[in-house]
Amino acid sequence: MRILFVIVLFISCFIANTAFADDVSELKEQIKTLTNAVKELKDTVEVQQKEINSLKETQNAKPPVSVVQPAAQPAAANTILPGKFTPEIGAVADIATRFEKSKFDTENANRVQVRELELVLGSNVDPYSRLDATVAFTEESKVDLEEAYLTRFGLPFDITARIGRFKPKIGKMLPVHRDSIDTVDEPLVIQHYFGEEGMNKSGVDFTKIIDLPLPSVHQVTFGVIEGGNGEGGTAFGSAVRRPTPYGHLKNYWDITDVTNFELGISDALGSNDKDKSFESNVLGLDATLRHTLNPNQEVKLQGETYYLHRKESLDGLDGTTDPRGNFWGSYGLLDFRLSSLWGTGFRFDYVEPVDRLLSDPNKAEIGYSEYLTFYQSEFARWRIQYSHIDRTTGENDNRVFLQGTFAIGEHKHKLQ
Amino acid sequence: MSRIKYFLVSSIIAMVFFCGVLNLTPCYAAENKLKVVATQTMFAEIVKEIGKDKVDVKYVAPPKFNVHFIQPKPTDVRNITKADLYVDAGLDLEAWSDSLLEAAGRPELFRGRERNVDMSKGIRLLDVPDHQLSRAEGDIHLFGNPHYNLNPENSKNMAENVLAKLKSIDPANAAYYETNEKTFISRLDEKIAEWKTICAQCRGQEILSYHKDIAYFADFLGLKAEQYIEPKPGIPPTPKHLEFLEEYVKTNHIKAIVMPTYYPKDAAEKLVQRVGAKVVTICQNVGEITGTEDIFSFFDYNFKQISEALK
Repeated sequence: MRILFVIVLFISCFIANTAFADDVSELKEQIKTLTNAVKELKDTVEVQQKEINSLKETQNAKPPVSVVQPAAQPAAANTILPGKFTPEIGAVADIATRFEKSKFDTENANRVQVRELELVLGSNVDPYSRLDATVAFTEESKVDLEEAYLTRFGLPFDITARIGRFKPKIGKMLPVHRDSIDTVDEPLVIQHYFGEEGMNKSGVDFTKIIDLPLPSVHQVTFGVIEGGNGEGGTAFGSAVRRPTPYGHLKNYWDITDVTNFELGISDALGSNDKDKSFESNVLGLDATLRHTLNPNQEVKLQGETYYLHRKESLDGLDGTTDPRGNFWGSYGLLDFRLSSLWGTGFRFDYVEPVDRLLSDPNKAEIGYSEYLTFYQSEFARWRIQYSHIDRTTGENDNRVFLQGTFAIGEHKHKLQ
Repeated sequence: MSRIKYFLVSSIIAMVFFCGVLNLTPCYAAENKLKVVATQTMFAEIVKEIGKDKVDVKYVAPPKFNVHFIQPKPTDVRNITKADLYVDAGLDLEAWSDSLLEAAGRPELFRGRERNVDMSKGIRLLDVPDHQLSRAEGDIHLFGNPHYNLNPENSKNMAENVLAKLKSIDPANAAYYETNEKTFISRLDEKIAEWKTICAQCRGQEILSYHKDIAYFADFLGLKAEQYIEPKPGIPPTPKHLEFLEEYVKTNHIKAIVMPTYYPKDAAEKLVQRVGAKVVTICQNVGEITGTEDIFSFFDYNFKQISEALK
């Protein structure tokens, strides 16, 4: 019995010993794995600690960080940005073609033509003034300094002045660049009285917003520009040495949050010749009603009327024309921005030309234009326009325009 | 000379007529308050939070419109001529801002001047270009993504910027502004924690956006936004691009197409019909839709929208 007990005890110890040996082996393996893992983690921590130390050193080298963290962009504070003092430079190409029945080989008729390429420059001169310039290049190798003027801000009584060559603030259409108007061409009244592309004149003007305790806005401009007209204009004579004083009063009302109305009056006094008298007086009235339907749709109704009074001596008249007396012209424009991509509109023109032949059967030219605009992007626009004009000669003129307007670089439009 | 007299007299008469007769409603100026004009509604709200009854704040961009494309009105010009402070987004988002300031003719409000607050100061900008830029890439921004207002963390920076300038131009009320700013930041911190909690499940999920204006929102929530309905910023979607997006949305199991209210919805709706994702309105401007008229309700709305869409 005792022997049996010893044998059982021996076998039990053997079995237990074998199981213990297996456990130890497994534990050893686990310890080995854990040791390797700890070693890897230790290495990682060492690498990260080095990176932290390196970052701390870099941080200590910098000036203390304020509560507001400095912007990482566009450059570190002490870095000079390349081109920091380079003026804003932009270019606008106006490519157009005009299909018409006329047999005359007139400008851009029945062919694609770059009407003009405008190079636009502008920058602040100092904290008080800004210089803007527009140079136009045409296919006929003509280079025209359309604008070059200094704007002086913050004059006494909060007056802003412009001096140089600029678009005078007469009416709504004249101060606007061609690439910003709603139609391919200027209204007939503008073309006939001031010039085919309006007019750019050298001079000086002063603008002030009249501070009244009223919800409306009133802005008055007075200026003096050189005499004459734009290309093809007939309101004044061609003598540039006789100055043309002008004034404009803009009145603006917010009717609702989405509807506003602007009413302006303009007056310009000019000479027809080199003497000191002011034989021509142009009085203008403009009105614009805008209604925004939603962020992508807007309706604009705009009209301008110019009344031209010319008092001219009979000297120099050849008997075929008589530019004395009263003339008037007007246009009405309905523009509808259909969506972010499309816009359309209609313009009606009426003008009594100053230089019409006395033998002409009609006193006035009447025009109708429809247009459709596709806004390819913010910087590219296509437009097709059909115009029908009843001339004073009794003839009809039908034209189809195709126009592309493309802008590159920086080109900021002035607020009108 | 008689014509010159006629010209001057007629102008004065017209002025008196238009100014005196056609205005039937008088406008009362806010007395003894700092007059502040902000370009955007969110900036206006931040100024109100800090200036409270010491400021009279007006904004330029109507909240339902894309701030990039608005046409400032003569009313805005008039407001700026009277302003003590002008608050703008800096960078190049508000392309009209410089022209507006020039029309008002107040040099001290111009960029970088003593009465101008550049809200982008101190913001960690995203999408900063690291290469030569070209318009072939669409309507891209020179200095980085300017839609930083969608991250509430950035509201703290903006508040600091406003505080610093208010203290500078109105030192007599510096302590008042500081107290208000601290209260605002404190409340904002509480809300940020709340917004992060309700949107916790959004982290790591991908969304599709109409325009590349969601970067800071995505950054705050840990969302992924890599494709847009616009093939390039500012360029309307093409049928080919929509076909690509259809596959992309399906492959990446995208649940939400996010956009503010002012973009055309037709492209997003077409996509939704084909792939079954949901169009989610994420406001870009405070007051863009009813119920988002202050900073907190604005963020409340946006985070609730995305949280529900990405459940």
